[in-house]
Amino acid sequence: MSLSKTSMLDIIKKQYTFKLRAYMQVFMSMVFIQMLGILFSFNGVGMSGGGSNTLSVNVHYYSADIVVAFTIVWAIISAILITTQAYRNDDFVFITNRMSSNFSNILFLLTASIIGGITAIMSTYVMKVLMYVLGRTEYLSSPIAVPEMLIGFGATILYVFLGTAIGYFIGTLVQLNKVFVVLVPGVFIGMIVLGAGSMNGGFFQDMIKFIFMESSFALFFIKIIILVILLFSSSAMLSNRLEVR
Amino acid sequence: MNVIDCKGLTKVYGRTKALNKLSFTIEENKITGLIGRNGAGKTTLLKIIGGFMRGTSGEVRVFSEEPFNNLFVSANVIYINDQMNFPTALSLKEILNVAATFYENWNHELANRLFDYFSFHQDHQYTGLSKGMKSTFNMIVGLSARCALTMFDEPTTGMDAAVRKDFYRALLKDFIAYPRTIILSSHHLNEIEDLLEDILLLKNGKEHLHIPIADLKEWAIGIEGLTANVNEWIGEREVIHLKNIGHDRMFAVVRNNFSEYEKQKAREAGLTFSPVSSSDICVYLTSKTKGGIDDVFIKD
Repeated sequence: MSLSKTSMLDIIKKQYTFKLRAYMQVFMSMVFIQMLGILFSFNGVGMSGGGSNTLSVNVHYYSADIVVAFTIVWAIISAILITTQAYRNDDFVFITNRMSSNFSNILFLLTASIIGGITAIMSTYVMKVLMYVLGRTEYLSSPIAVPEMLIGFGATILYVFLGTAIGYFIGTLVQLNKVFVVLVPGVFIGMIVLGAGSMNGGFFQDMIKFIFMESSFALFFIKIIILVILLFSSSAMLSNRLEVR
Repeated sequence: MNVIDCKGLTKVYGRTKALNKLSFTIEENKITGLIGRNGAGKTTLLKIIGGFMRGTSGEVRVFSEEPFNNLFVSANVIYINDQMNFPTALSLKEILNVAATFYENWNHELANRLFDYFSFHQDHQYTGLSKGMKSTFNMIVGLSARCALTMFDEPTTGMDAAVRKDFYRALLKDFIAYPRTIILSSHHLNEIEDLLEDILLLKNGKEHLHIPIADLKEWAIGIEGLTANVNEWIGEREVIHLKNIGHDRMFAVVRNNFSEYEKQKAREAGLTFSPVSSSDICVYLTSKTKGGIDDVFIKD
């Protein structure tokens, strides 16, 4: 009888490939959510109009914002989903420990974020094509420069990835204690309510500003990465003593 | 080399102690039967050995390492129980293929042959299987993984008699082909006793008995005769089980430490001796009262 030696890296790699296949449903739900987002986008995000006696102009604005927002929500939910007991147990059927399990989950979520982010931005093209085919009226679209496009991809991927990190953290808390099922939404709503009355905004509003109102991409990149690392590492530390199966 | 070293292991759930200062060692390349009543702590023990759970206090060493959260232990241990869950996105064949990438000693040929023998269909889903089929599939994974420590927790749940027989035979054949340490927890001791080398009997989270199975058969003996005679003969001995037969006869199971001379005398006094099956011994040893369920129906 010889004992097999394993390296952490090797196991993480195996777990990652296993998860890409096993967590297929996550991508299925993404396709569905984004299609739903496109459908809702047809309402337009804004509208303005004007006219004279003989002429009236209505301008509708369309964008993929709703798709991006839907994708972020999908990211949060998917990340919560893979921390649930059923998924965790699937994980522990084969060789793993909590560290490799968390690492491969993070790699999987990063992959999902990249795919989700890119498809979310690309959905503008789907919308343009659909506009062209189905649109009843004159249709204009502004061409996007390549650097802007890349920033768009980058920022969306980062937002989605941040979503997975938040979801993963919430999911881990819930796994530790079911109290968090009530506590997390409670704190979330509480933060919104507490900040609502004050002029300069509460913690929640500051947080939103901190994340969503950054004009420099480099700074934004650093902010998100730090937040993501903080969230994932605290999830990993919290779940390191968790009992499974 | 000891595969498992367990010293004073205690596991507390809320207020109940699932394991209570359990100490034992299991040696390499032996098949050990883990026997105990429902709730005796078998599953808890196996899960701690597998590194899924932590003991509250005490010490466990698997391959001389702490099993909890240990990748080395995880790579060399497989724990099969009836609550196994496989990813729903994978078909049965894909699950085997994935397992093959994980376990170094995985025998894919054996897995495929067993898969065909038990007529699984490669495109079927694990969740669509019946209880017995699930157990059979788990067993295939457990055997093919060829882990240095293989633990089967009630592997035969839901299996029909034919499959159970096949399983025991497959287990034995593969054990001979590739010796490893196997722990088998089961309620059907009479079915598995021919496979086992050692037996570890748990009672209330404690080690009650850990002896070779051959010794267990000789461990106790049954005496039957008139109540007065039996009572006189068992005297100060360790009584494991008592049963009244009719109103003046009695059957008792006691530790088998009679000398030949004593037995001779007892036979002259009208007592008959009978061997007690190992499965019965285990039932008697783990029951809370001397008389078993009969005590419930006796009103004073």
